[in-house]
Amino acid sequence: MLIIENLTKIYDNGFMALDNINLEIPDGQFVAIIGLSGSGKSTLLRCINRLIDPTKGRIIWNGIDITAATDDELRQIRRRIGMIFQQFNLVKRSSVITNVMAGRLGYINPLFSLVNYFPPQEKARALAALERVGIADKAYNRASALSGGQQQRVGIARTLMQEPEMLLADEPVASLDPATSHSVMKYLELLNQEDGLTILCSLHFLSLARAYSDRVIALKDGKLEFDGLPQEIDNERFKMIYGEDAVEVEIH
Amino acid sequence: MNTNPPRSRSALRRLLLLLAAAAILVIFSYGWTVTRIDLSVPQEPQRQRNVGNALRELLSPNVFTQDYEVLTATAPFTIGCPDAFEASPVVASDQPYIVVEPACGRANEVVTVRGYNFAANGLARVNWIAADGERRVRRVVGASGDNFITDGSGGFVVQVEVPRIRGSAGQTHTIEVQGRFPVGLPRFSDTTGLVIEKMVETIFLALIATAVSILPSAILSFFAAQNLMHPVRTPLGGLLLSFTLLPLGWLLGTLLLGQIGLLALNVGRLSGVSGATTAGLLLLGAVVSTRKLGGNAVMPPGFNPRALLNAVLFAVIATAALGLIGGLGLLFGSTFRDGLLGYVGALLGSLGSLIELAIVPIGGIIGAFTLASIGSTLTRQALKHTSAAMSHVLGGILGALAGMILLGLTASIGLTAAWLSLLTPVAAAGMASAILPLLYRRFVHRPENPTTTDRAIRTVLSWSGAAAAFVVAFLLLNVRQALVEGALPPQTVAFEALGIKFYAYVVQAMLIGAVLGGVAGAMAGTKANFPIGSVLYTVTRTLLNALRSIEPLIMGLVFVIWVGIGPFAGVLALALHSVASLGKLYSEQIENIDAGPIEALQSTGANRLQTIMYAVVPQIIPPYIAFTMYRWDINVRMSTIIGFVGGGGIGFLLQQQINLLRYRDAGVAVLAIAIVVSILDYASASIRERYI
Repeated sequence: MLIIENLTKIYDNGFMALDNINLEIPDGQFVAIIGLSGSGKSTLLRCINRLIDPTKGRIIWNGIDITAATDDELRQIRRRIGMIFQQFNLVKRSSVITNVMAGRLGYINPLFSLVNYFPPQEKARALAALERVGIADKAYNRASALSGGQQQRVGIARTLMQEPEMLLADEPVASLDPATSHSVMKYLELLNQEDGLTILCSLHFLSLARAYSDRVIALKDGKLEFDGLPQEIDNERFKMIYGEDAVEVEIH
Repeated sequence: MNTNPPRSRSALRRLLLLLAAAAILVIFSYGWTVTRIDLSVPQEPQRQRNVGNALRELLSPNVFTQDYEVLTATAPFTIGCPDAFEASPVVASDQPYIVVEPACGRANEVVTVRGYNFAANGLARVNWIAADGERRVRRVVGASGDNFITDGSGGFVVQVEVPRIRGSAGQTHTIEVQGRFPVGLPRFSDTTGLVIEKMVETIFLALIATAVSILPSAILSFFAAQNLMHPVRTPLGGLLLSFTLLPLGWLLGTLLLGQIGLLALNVGRLSGVSGATTAGLLLLGAVVSTRKLGGNAVMPPGFNPRALLNAVLFAVIATAALGLIGGLGLLFGSTFRDGLLGYVGALLGSLGSLIELAIVPIGGIIGAFTLASIGSTLTRQALKHTSAAMSHVLGGILGALAGMILLGLTASIGLTAAWLSLLTPVAAAGMASAILPLLYRRFVHRPENPTTTDRAIRTVLSWSGAAAAFVVAFLLLNVRQALVEGALPPQTVAFEALGIKFYAYVVQAMLIGAVLGGVAGAMAGTKANFPIGSVLYTVTRTLLNALRSIEPLIMGLVFVIWVGIGPFAGVLALALHSVASLGKLYSEQIENIDAGPIEALQSTGANRLQTIMYAVVPQIIPPYIAFTMYRWDINVRMSTIIGFVGGGGIGFLLQQQINLLRYRDAGVAVLAIAIVVSILDYASASIRERYI
């Protein structure tokens, strides 16, 4: 259970990105977060694993207050929260398998990292993760040699190394074409259904949210605008979230 | 949308533009005068002739030389044609010979000299040998120099005027023709040999200086990268405790780790390979046991006392390994003294003696940081459970201790040179800058959402606190005297403890530090998040910029005083400057990397070191290689200048040749520099292309 209480984030320049957000997300839910660019979707996701420190409010996950964790505790918490990104955030010059194994760093003695050593069982785990997302044959290619969809799958394999209980996905398909978008979303669906991962996924397209999520949260100017089932979003609600001029675009 | 600004504003803008143009004109006019640019000077004929000659010689570098053989033929000549004169008969032969017609004559008469069997198209000259044996070159009629050129078959016909020599009438003189012709192929001149030798020295001087600078500048570059350092904050309590533990750690490190290192060094040196192997195996065992301690390489969750044990073990192993390497180096150096292995032996031997010199301080540094990191880890756990009031009390105590140590340190540095005594007031100002804003926040107003006004108030308070502390420390420590008179602070000993002399001046500074640190620490409390990253960033950047602004020429002057004239001084000067320069270039590369992977790895729970190893390092390796090559190239060019102050290399030779006005020889050095720099430039470009 992830509980977000009175979460507020004000950036140093005074911009209020999140304004008093309250949420309760049970384990195993697939939550889509929608809203315009700048509505606070990314900030919300990054506050959960404290890539961004919230200004006010608490985030409690399975009884642990993430916002009060020390650096060491935070690393322990982060190990169990996977994250994938719009720009995939792979090290482009490194091999695919190195990128994947890097997801395991939180579990590995930091001294090994000084000499760039991974225990053999971690290598096997990385290959298994790549197998699962269907690109085991690319393990020794440079990450930059892969297509966008493949790179995002490497990103997913990297989070699998963490053995996560929750996955934060920050616009995972915004840089991909429609067909590849669906393939990546299907992998997220698989993790949600097979591994029981809680998934928080910010999306641009309402149609993707409708197709994959159990629950939709809409943000507007940092405030919670809507929280409910995907099918509850009708034309009127849509215009409330995206503004009067918006027209819904389907992605197939 | 692009709207036109109102008319009045555009007029104002035009006026400002005009004023700016006028200001630029004034600046450049002043610059023109200050630099004494006078276009009439370079047009003076004498100067043009001089520069023409110098350039001509520079552009005819004395690269090659040629061996010559000289063929000589003589013929008698009688002055004044006595009545009984009879020309001696000339016998034609296959040897070079000359025929003079007429074979006698008076002064200023012109005689014809014919030569046969000389080298074809060779240089030749006519010498006149008087009766007393004095030999003078006689220019042939119509020639501009001493030499003339033989024809295609090795013969010639030239005319020579009979010299006027007092009292020579009736004497028989000798006309001699020397023809010279090249033997063998042209070869490199002695100058070229010397230049090549010095050029090799220069290349290696630059190489060593660059290589030595890579590691320190790579390490410094991480501290000078804003994107890495800016987010680094740490709870103040842990930081203060770590800082307080530094001297203790240093002491323990020099006593324990340093001795372990020396022991390992002696094992390596004295018991040779077998002993070193045993020691190495022991080390390996220790490493394996750390692996076991690491819990099958996977860190268990939660607080981990094993990690602390690992840290200690790591410190011991690192020191011992370094000592062992040093000992083996010394052994190698003393065993191999000749031949190719001798070079390697000399290098390893001096590395070994360097380690021998440095192992105790290195042990101290490792000890200091190990103890500090252990302290910081422990406090972070302990601090979570302290109450707010306790946190402020502890903050005060630790702050006072840390402030005392910091200012004690800066004051000790200040004892070495007058201007360095400014460090203490600056550090005091740094500490004090935190106090007023903290007071304001606690007792006056604590804004929820800081506005621009709040931030302005904070800045003003922070600066005024800093200025006040600076002035107070400046006056109390009598820094004025040091600045104005260049006098070092008086070295009166206040007391002695633990064999360390505490100077009154240092004690005074420590008291100031204790007061400021205590107040700041108590105000902030141990739970405050201290922006240690920004502080380290600022200090590193300032250091690098200061070092970089000192020209290697000046560093060279200092090092020549320290280690004497020669390439060693040049290596040190260039290495020091390269550290500063590469440190900055490297850090800019870090600032340019894609931040995405850093964010991604942080989100997986990787710690800072791991994030750097896996997200930063792979991205910066290509630019690091490129900039290191570039720096080598720069160092080759700079070492030509370093030589001018005695830093060895080709510059030294170049300076001598220029001082002796031997421009043709200087031309060889200039040519060599041009060739080597072009080759390096080409090589570095192609390497960059391949690796990026």
